Amino acid sequence: MTTINNHPIVPMRLLIGAFILSGLAGCGAPEHTTTVDYDGDYPVEQGGSLVEATRGEPSGLIPMIAGESAASAVAANIFNSLLKYDKNLELEGELAKSWQVSPDQKTITFTLKPGLKWADGQPLTSADALFTWQLVTDDNTRTPYGADYKLVTKAEAPDPLTFRVTYPQPYAPALDSWAGLQILPEHLLKGQDINTTAFRRNPVGSHYYQLKEWRNGERITLTRNPNATQGQANIDQLVTRFIPDEASQFLELMANNIDSMALNPIQYARIFPARPDLNSKIGLYKELGNSYTYLGFNLKHKPFDDIRVRQAINYAIDKQELIDGVLLGLGEPVASPYKPGTRWTNPKLKPYPYDTAKAIDLLKAAGYEDHDGDGIVDKNGKPLSFEILTNQNKQREMSAVLIQRRLKEIGIDVTIRVLEWASFVGRYIKTGDFDVVLLGWSLSLDPDQFSIWHSSQQAPGQFNFIGYHNPRVDSLLERGRLELDPDKRMVIYHEFAEILLEDSPIVYLFAGYGLPAIHKRVKGIDNPAPPAGIGHNTYEWYIPRALRRNEISTQ
Amino acid sequence: MIRYLLKRLFWMIPMLIGISLISFFIMHLAPGDITTTEAGFNPKASEESRQKLRELYHLDEPVIVQYGLWLERMGKLDFGASFASHQRPVFWETKDDQGNVTKGLIQEALPITLLINVLSLGLIIAIALPLGVVSSLTQNQLPDRAITLFVFIGFAIPGFWLALLLMYWTGVVHDWLPISGLHSLHYDQLGFFGKIGDSLKHLALPVFISGLSGLAGISLFVRNGMLEVLHQDYITTARAKGLGENTVVYRHALRNALLPLITLLGLAIPGLIGGSVIAESIFAIPGMGKLFYDAVLMRDFPVIMGILTIGSALTLLGNLLADLAYAWADPRVRRGVMS
Repeated sequence: MTTINNHPIVPMRLLIGAFILSGLAGCGAPEHTTTVDYDGDYPVEQGGSLVEATRGEPSGLIPMIAGESAASAVAANIFNSLLKYDKNLELEGELAKSWQVSPDQKTITFTLKPGLKWADGQPLTSADALFTWQLVTDDNTRTPYGADYKLVTKAEAPDPLTFRVTYPQPYAPALDSWAGLQILPEHLLKGQDINTTAFRRNPVGSHYYQLKEWRNGERITLTRNPNATQGQANIDQLVTRFIPDEASQFLELMANNIDSMALNPIQYARIFPARPDLNSKIGLYKELGNSYTYLGFNLKHKPFDDIRVRQAINYAIDKQELIDGVLLGLGEPVASPYKPGTRWTNPKLKPYPYDTAKAIDLLKAAGYEDHDGDGIVDKNGKPLSFEILTNQNKQREMSAVLIQRRLKEIGIDVTIRVLEWASFVGRYIKTGDFDVVLLGWSLSLDPDQFSIWHSSQQAPGQFNFIGYHNPRVDSLLERGRLELDPDKRMVIYHEFAEILLEDSPIVYLFAGYGLPAIHKRVKGIDNPAPPAGIGHNTYEWYIPRALRRNEISTQ
Repeated sequence: MIRYLLKRLFWMIPMLIGISLISFFIMHLAPGDITTTEAGFNPKASEESRQKLRELYHLDEPVIVQYGLWLERMGKLDFGASFASHQRPVFWETKDDQGNVTKGLIQEALPITLLINVLSLGLIIAIALPLGVVSSLTQNQLPDRAITLFVFIGFAIPGFWLALLLMYWTGVVHDWLPISGLHSLHYDQLGFFGKIGDSLKHLALPVFISGLSGLAGISLFVRNGMLEVLHQDYITTARAKGLGENTVVYRHALRNALLPLITLLGLAIPGLIGGSVIAESIFAIPGMGKLFYDAVLMRDFPVIMGILTIGSALTLLGNLLADLAYAWADPRVRRGVMS
């Protein structure tokens, strides 16, 4: 359940923070320098605590209801799903030992691993999976995520190890949806109101960790689950501290009070290289992020209904410049809405190169030329000018400014408007009252993007708000949903991405890297990161005794 | 006196209704609701499910109907449950059949913010009073100039910037104070005094930072009040009687100069429950400012209204208290109230 990150970033404060840090660096050597060798080889051993920082506090730990990313991040350590994505983002069983798709592709049968247990020792069976499905499709459950599961016409648990779902017609994203639904315990939740149950703040799951303590507004402490279904993790305790401010998180990291945080490009590319004392104790990692940033045209407004105008704008934007300027080089250009390196990405596709001559030619072909000599191209006396709308997100604002300048070079007059998120969505996106938006979409793990690109998804509140309509894409998206065989699906979505790139309803700008910083006391981290990111094997991470923080002994 | 009090209390009711009505409408003027902020842009969240949520929360009704529903609940002193944070009660804890207690959002945030604000108000008064008095006694001389300069710097300096500097200096360069949060990770293993010490260490910087900007106002207020009083005829009389300088300054002048401060403090009461978003974010303190700010961003209407209602009720009460305190302290005003 990934959502687009719409938190405003506050780099002004960070810049000042960075300035302070670099300014003060010479004033006094850090007192607590240690002689511990963090780079040495240490054998794997169990124990220790890992302290992380996140910006938001989960509202609850039942992910289908809480929804926000802070909740999913913690809940991912507590609950299991039937399936999961492996390090290369291919599906594999988690609670399920295997799954079979019936020949007509309408029925999926999951076989659970034997002997599964909840953290409280009760058996975990297919009845729990059935119960969870009933919960998520129940009309009283306050979840926005029910749609995928409501397609199931029959769900059954014929025996404790078998869970079977039947769809009226083949539905390929089904497998992804079962990797996204975390199974909840029937014996603790039956008969309770899922929206208000105390379980949401005191969950019992089946994964590596269980909740030990939740201090509201301060931190959540998880401790190892002795009955974990996937084996035992090495680290004893996971502490997640809620620190809303990135600069404060960074100070905590420097002071050795937290082990892990997500850096921003300034911290990664500017502060760290200047601070050898930080590099000696903190490891930097780079992983592909979960979303891409794009410039989207309102295809119902003129002149964006003209493919030549859209392509001209695409050619006129220098993507590498955006990556260098906005992300300090810490990102990748994309040419399809999928994570680079996964099977859904068509390796043949390349982003539109930066080519102003071509852009000007295309504008000319569309009838846009500077007839009156004011530097702005026009057609029938109307100058080509529009407004780029974006939300309060520093990366997007900076991108808009760079794009504004590049488009000016080919004679397009652009203004920029920055809005608060809820107003942006409520007032402009829902009503379709915009020319061009600068936004982000997640790089989904399942290739199905029906809700974003299919022409039937244009009603207010639906996600094809740019009004994209291409019969070939519609039919590909429909076919892709009916095909459960990954290899055949791949062909469909490669073609889909190719048409999308050619049509240029949006300009792919970049996909930024996630930049985790983790204290070097934590060992066993995969570097370089596989497509799934460094977090795919947290259970294998370990903290050698000699490197542990001594203040929190876990006895 | 009692009649006056009852009259004032009675008038608070229509005032509160008026304030809440205006707040409610202004809140709904902003585009978007909880369904646009929570999973509003997740392709997995369908428009039908969002419509269902809107119906559950009555967001599909006209605003005036929603206000009626809210008022009806408020009549029973029910502040409702938060949309955004998993149906947690807005104001006070609830208990379910199994005896599980769910704490209210304001219930948890308010004591923290109150503690910090009361401490910083205490700090402000403890420092601003002597500064103001010294300032007035040395008017236009070096100490006065120095103090004025100091408090203005304190007023003008951006709080978040100074906070980050101090956090770096006391937390990273030296291991003197914790950087953020309210409790250490090993808080539960500490003894009684250890816990108090730990809390004080965590509170030191936030209290100092939130007090700093208030210092200038109060100390200048005291200084100017003192100056005005010191030039009154009765001070000349007191001096002429041959009273000692200390008696003149502290018994006759200061007490009179402090009268207007009572009003000021009365007006500061509602401010006590409002936290600073920036300070709370930087120090990772789960207080009222952050709660309100997040609620506004998420369009979490019950929480916004809950905080506004409690805030306006406290403002009105603060005004009343200030008037009463003033009457108690100043006989001239008292006569007006009693008659």
